[in-house]
Amino acid sequence: MADSPEEIRKKTKTYLAVGALLFIGTVLTWAVATQEFLDIGGHGFDRADCILGLLIATVKASCVAGIFMHLNHEKKAIYWIFFGSFVFVFFLAWLLKLAHDSPIFDQFFYR
Amino acid sequence: MEIPFVVTPRKDTGLTNSKIAIWLFLASEVMLFGGFFSAYVYLRVGSSDPVGGYPWPERALPILPGLINTFILIASSVTVVFAWAALKLRQWGKFQAFMGFTVLCAFVFLGLKGIEYNVKFHHQALRTVDGAVIEGHLGYEKKEGVDAHAEAKEEDYVLNHHGKKIEENRINVEATGLTFNTVRFHKDWVEEILTEAGHHHSKITLASDLKLALKPGAAEETVLPAGTELSTEVLAKVADLHLKARANNADVRTEALRKAWDVAHETYPSKRDWQIAEKVAIDPKALEGKLMTEAPNLAFKVDPPAKLTFAPRDVKAGQAQSSLRDGTAIDGVLLESPMVFHAVDALDFRHLAMKAINKGLDPMAEVEKSWVLANSPELREIWEWHKGEIAKLEERLKQDYEMKGKSKREPTFTERYRVEWKDFAAKAEGKPRTEREGVIKLKEQFMGPNYDDRAAAHTFPELSVPRDQVAFDSKFTPAWNPFYAIYFTITGLHGLHVIGGALVLGYYLFRGKKMYLSNPEWLANRVEVGGLFWHFVDLVWIFLFPLLYLM
Repeated sequence: MADSPEEIRKKTKTYLAVGALLFIGTVLTWAVATQEFLDIGGHGFDRADCILGLLIATVKASCVAGIFMHLNHEKKAIYWIFFGSFVFVFFLAWLLKLAHDSPIFDQFFYR
Repeated sequence: MEIPFVVTPRKDTGLTNSKIAIWLFLASEVMLFGGFFSAYVYLRVGSSDPVGGYPWPERALPILPGLINTFILIASSVTVVFAWAALKLRQWGKFQAFMGFTVLCAFVFLGLKGIEYNVKFHHQALRTVDGAVIEGHLGYEKKEGVDAHAEAKEEDYVLNHHGKKIEENRINVEATGLTFNTVRFHKDWVEEILTEAGHHHSKITLASDLKLALKPGAAEETVLPAGTELSTEVLAKVADLHLKARANNADVRTEALRKAWDVAHETYPSKRDWQIAEKVAIDPKALEGKLMTEAPNLAFKVDPPAKLTFAPRDVKAGQAQSSLRDGTAIDGVLLESPMVFHAVDALDFRHLAMKAINKGLDPMAEVEKSWVLANSPELREIWEWHKGEIAKLEERLKQDYEMKGKSKREPTFTERYRVEWKDFAAKAEGKPRTEREGVIKLKEQFMGPNYDDRAAAHTFPELSVPRDQVAFDSKFTPAWNPFYAIYFTITGLHGLHVIGGALVLGYYLFRGKKMYLSNPEWLANRVEVGGLFWHFVDLVWIFLFPLLYLM
């Protein structure tokens, strides 16, 4: 492993800071979803609040992946593997969208 | 011989074997969970479809257990990194401490998950024939003579064969006759029927002599006389004889059919099989003297008629005849078989309202006509209170729009038509709906409402629903709503990953010393990839929590 003991000692504070950030992010996610004063537009819980909540979750996930999982300084081979999996997930979700938009079903069943 | 590239990275990729392997595995896991997340999105969006939609339990899960679980997993993610760092710095004691904390977090997470699942498995939901949904907890059957309204003690309850209390959701039949399928009968059910009949001092005896030809072509002889008492041994004995006869008769018929085909081939040598198939039939004379008597069913009479009870999922009830899932036919009148709620804690008219809107009717008017509001004064009172509160909410939102310049908003469909337990609690405590979050105690945030403590204030009314009003009932399980199906699937799969990760990390914690002493760098690499898996598990939860609990 590339990380030497000296580098690891330096990173201890970073790990603690990221941990604290994740805790704060979690409280923020909960607050955005439940507290009325943080409601975007005041429409109640709607699409905008969903997107904000998922955005916060994505930031948290990026912190975990980038810093805890060392993805911010990983080798190229790993980046390619990970990128590949997202491509496949995209196609998987796209298949679902295709099935949703032009389903094969008996139209008389739902009467 | 040392395995290459477990400590020293490969020169071309710069990676050790375990690194490449774990990232390949995590890539496949991304696809696995990605599939489930996509499925969730489509189910969720599909539920709000104006034509084919259905009520979704949006934000119905208690948030606090999920929130605490998120904190626990984040903390364990931090400590697993520190455990790896301690190994790299050759600090065995610190490694043990951090790794121990990580594994402990895993078990706390699973414990909380278990509590959440258990609460759902005990929560009953019912959709009545008109589409109204009632949620709550069923009562348990009490012994005869016990006051139904007095505070019940443990000894007041009836226990089943397994020593457990019986939920008040049973189909009662006054049986005068039983016809068992000799091959498919379910032993446990036969034993229960016998026990129940015994309680009513009824005897279950064979209705008429059972006469079977026990050898091919032999005369029928009485195997069991009329009046033989029912037992699983009797049924098993007849099953044995029946199966022998069936096997013999099948062989005889097959042989006769073979001969008939041979004859047909000789008669029509140039024709193909499909051309002569209609002409081929078993000659009855060929079967004479070769058949044994089959006994697929065995009819018994119940004297005097006895009240038998069954779980709704096991029986197809009819007014004059009912049948069990094992093929047993029960002759007898269907008695009153209500579904009794000891505590109703939610009323949901969304399904009823949706059906009304689809038919072009006024949903509120249809709700007022529902069976539950017509037959339960307490639930009617709660519904009237709820309507008043929603009217106040509408007024407040209108004022916010006109006076404070906020965007226009109306009460949501869910707010208008669903009354949940916090509303019941707020009303009972005399608080307005806006303060309903404040009426929940800490324990209730995990376990749901405390029914015993709230009983004195009559917070959750009792309700007895006659069987003909029950359209569909289920606990909060996949059967009830696609949300619960995917909730249990995705959190269950995640939970299995937590167990797997805890086992691997626990192995390093308890069995790693030997490897630490011989090859510490290799152990550090193994702990690192174990940690990478653990972080992935945390990543999935970071998305799961808002998606399932907050949206």
